[in-house]
Amino acid sequence: MQARRILKNLDYSLILAVALILLLGLVAISSATHVTGNDAQDAYRYVKMQLLWVFLGTAAAVTLLFWRYEELVRYYKILYVVNLVLLAAVLITGREALGAQRWIQIGPFSFQPSEFAKIIIIVTLAAFLAEREEQLSRFRDLLPVFAFIGVPMVLIMLQPDLGTSLVFVGITIGMLFMAGAKPLLLGGLVAGGLFTAIGWIWAHLNYGVWLPLKEYQLQRLIIFLDPWSDWQGAGYNMIQSQIAIGSGGLWGRGIYNGTQNQLNFLPEQHTDFIFSVLAEEMGFVGVIILLTLYFMLLYRGVQIAAQARDTFGTLIAIGIVSMLIFHIFVNIGMNIGIMPVTGLPLPYFSYGGSAMLADLIALGLLLNIWVRRQKIVF
Amino acid sequence: MPKKHKVSQRKIKTFITGIVLIFLILLVRLSSLQIFEAEHFRTLARENTLRLIPISAPRGEIFDRENRKIVGNRPVYMVQLINVGQTEDQLAPVISLLSRILDKPVAEIKDKIREGKFRPYEPVVIAKDVPLDVITRIEEHRAELPGVTIDIEPRRKYPYGKLLAHTLGYIQEINPEQLEQHRDEGYRLGDTYGQAGLENVYEKELRGEKGARQVEVDAYANPVRTLGVKEPVPGNNLHLTIDLDVQKAVEEALEKTIKTLQEGEHKQARAGAVVVEDVRSGAILAIASYPAYNPGMFTGRLTTGEVQKVLLSPDRPFINRAIQSTYPPGSTFKMVTAAAALEQDLDPTYRINCKGYYWWDRLYTDWTYPRGHGSLDVIEAIQKSCDVYFWIVGRMIGYESIARMATEFGLGQKTGIDLPGEAKGVVPNVEYKRMMIQKRLDQLTQQLNNIKEKYERLMKEATSPEEKESLEKKRQRELNSVQEEYERLEWELQWHDYDTLNMSIGQGYNLYTPLQIANYVSAVANGGMLYRPYLVEKITSPEGEVLKEFKPEPIRRVDISRDTIQFLQEGMRQVTRPGGTAYWVFHDFPVETAGKTGTAEIYGKDNHGWYVAYAPAEDPEVAVACIVEHGGHGSSAAAPVVKAALSAYFDLPVESETVAPTTE
Repeated sequence: MQARRILKNLDYSLILAVALILLLGLVAISSATHVTGNDAQDAYRYVKMQLLWVFLGTAAAVTLLFWRYEELVRYYKILYVVNLVLLAAVLITGREALGAQRWIQIGPFSFQPSEFAKIIIIVTLAAFLAEREEQLSRFRDLLPVFAFIGVPMVLIMLQPDLGTSLVFVGITIGMLFMAGAKPLLLGGLVAGGLFTAIGWIWAHLNYGVWLPLKEYQLQRLIIFLDPWSDWQGAGYNMIQSQIAIGSGGLWGRGIYNGTQNQLNFLPEQHTDFIFSVLAEEMGFVGVIILLTLYFMLLYRGVQIAAQARDTFGTLIAIGIVSMLIFHIFVNIGMNIGIMPVTGLPLPYFSYGGSAMLADLIALGLLLNIWVRRQKIVF
Repeated sequence: MPKKHKVSQRKIKTFITGIVLIFLILLVRLSSLQIFEAEHFRTLARENTLRLIPISAPRGEIFDRENRKIVGNRPVYMVQLINVGQTEDQLAPVISLLSRILDKPVAEIKDKIREGKFRPYEPVVIAKDVPLDVITRIEEHRAELPGVTIDIEPRRKYPYGKLLAHTLGYIQEINPEQLEQHRDEGYRLGDTYGQAGLENVYEKELRGEKGARQVEVDAYANPVRTLGVKEPVPGNNLHLTIDLDVQKAVEEALEKTIKTLQEGEHKQARAGAVVVEDVRSGAILAIASYPAYNPGMFTGRLTTGEVQKVLLSPDRPFINRAIQSTYPPGSTFKMVTAAAALEQDLDPTYRINCKGYYWWDRLYTDWTYPRGHGSLDVIEAIQKSCDVYFWIVGRMIGYESIARMATEFGLGQKTGIDLPGEAKGVVPNVEYKRMMIQKRLDQLTQQLNNIKEKYERLMKEATSPEEKESLEKKRQRELNSVQEEYERLEWELQWHDYDTLNMSIGQGYNLYTPLQIANYVSAVANGGMLYRPYLVEKITSPEGEVLKEFKPEPIRRVDISRDTIQFLQEGMRQVTRPGGTAYWVFHDFPVETAGKTGTAEIYGKDNHGWYVAYAPAEDPEVAVACIVEHGGHGSSAAAPVVKAALSAYFDLPVESETVAPTTE
């Protein structure tokens, strides 16, 4: 496909939405990091690094455009295996940080395979499901799908990275729905899963039933219900982020002027809690702008799924939309105290190389599907 | 050619609806936080960044009547460590450097950090009262000591050590009860609070007002900038009625006398009290209790060992014996009996022939002077302290009128001095005696029961009949002895004539504080005016402005005639003249004094020695009362202390010891 045609067919509203989100994100990161950084270091180090990731990610996305995404079907089994190998490698050689093993060191950079795993899983699951479209109405039809998704999910859980493995659940549900699984059955599974999880935790808290979680993980998971119960400990982050967001008010306290951010009361303010920086300094207005942009992005994503030339494309697009919406909901939900702290980044917004690369590759895939929507072979 | 592909619009719509729903959830919560609760969170954000660092106010100082500082303040440097998130590894070099500079073992510093529950941003005190040169060294190493801060705190200073300890009281960290009680007055945990004495009574005046520095801090509690400072207001100063010279003389004499007595025949003499009062106003010039403690020991954090040592000392140094302990007044009470009799129209010229004993329902012997004083009137009876005279007079007028006169002189009542914990004492009465005896009877009943139980058990264990028999005998013997005591005491539930006799010479159930006795002597000296004794003359602001002035406060004019008073005064004046019981102590004293000795009989131990006096005899200015517990005799144990007090008051040179004769 020629560059001219690609350019002509690109979804510019999607690109515009992402570009604006990136821009807002860079502003927020600059505000979040210009004091945090050591005096010796460049005050805009994080902004520059993020820009580098954006550049690399864009380059990757553009390169992807020249490929035919349909070709990926052929390699999906290899991709699946490569993914498992990468995830296993993290467990074996990975660098530990914040109590979890998520990084692999390559040269001066460390990267997080689980971020890319999400994309690979979307692509491979799309191929897997495309073969089974409209043959998913019974529960036992779903079992192979669960097995397919289960293996990488367990590997990620072992890191442990509960957040990312839950993203898999979100992605799978969205894609299964699109691929023709019964909504009632899916709803039942989700409700059943939730009920089991809550019941299990409840039993653990009240009767000491064994739980496959370390105490601190459980604490982090349930503290959002009442962060004040341990306001100096586990609840501190949640309380500070809510204070930041609430104190932002309608118009915000001004960029570089939020005390929660500037005086470091906000934890992880350039990654997990970057949304709170935006909310504190740009207020409800800034938040509405960001959410509108996200909605534009997701809406376009669904439209791309609807107009994809084949089921594979539709499923990839829906997988990506599911992944994004899950990240957005869980990350903002954690910032505003209605979701547990899981460490999922806010797409195109949080500081972080692997996530940015992965998300931009996802964008590239969306655009790829869009430019090839016409059902004519060029 | 790929197969024909069509996506269900229904699914797409469902998907969009799902997304919209999720966004709605987020928006509802966000608008609640940012629109409806914004004010609340704005406040929380502000509170996050604002810290009020309290600046303690120097406590008011205490001066004597001539403006000599008795209690002051000095700045004390504290070294603290703040947890700003250091790891163990980062702390280790800081601790070892601190240990070298402060000359404290590393383990001790680590203990303090552990005890202080090293919570984020809360300082842990590593060392208090650190000398300035050590502080300078810490400042020199500032860069190597992250988290170490220096704080200055005013601390109590007692330039005279133990002097006036009981009256001054001491300060300590406010305890939970006091905190609860005074929460509205702005006390916080860790504040100091006057725990005893004047420090307690005048807490409100002395404490001052804390200041504060408002600073903006970051999340690591590092001050970013100072927003404002409210300077502390120092507490107000107390100016006491105390005369340091007299106080010093009294305490030294009391200690010296007691030590001398201990070395001599009176090993049990270990404690005593003195009160020196201005008879014209009730102002206290000196007030002492021995043994004393050092109030300075409370300002630092005490080791439990030190506290235990003082608290558990058998001499109970914390008791302010001048106002908290009650004693039988002995013969110092005889002016009360004399006054009661004279007011009942006893002819002052009426003479009684003392043969050294008195026969009433049984024989009473004056053991201190068994050969008899011969014929005496009321003045001579006081001069020679004749028990027989007062027995007869006392029995004639009855115990009620003696009790009424004692009460009239303020005995058995709190004087109302501005000190906490004053004891009331007891004027003997039927009810009180019954109560005391009943208490003893209850103890005996308990004892009887114990004996019965003990033998019941032993009898059960006994095997042979012989053993049982011998046990039964023992049991009877023990029971009988207690039973006898019980029956004797039962009879004692009633008031008997000899109780009146005992009472009229100040023994028996009379129990008064040395302060009450001093105040009563003052009233005799000044012609019958009973004043409320007081310690604080005025309160001044830190700038020296007089805020409050205390004037003499009469309680009442004692209801007796001028004549009666004059007979009492003449009797007391004769005590220091030839033939008087204290002549040998005061014969060489350049100012004529009036006095009265007293000996409180203590069953099974050495008697308490009392001496009361006022001077000058002609135009009285000052009254003194002194008791030495188990000091034996008044004239030998207590009179020298009184003499030292009067010497100091009249600025006389301290003279050599007077050797005591044997009789009173």
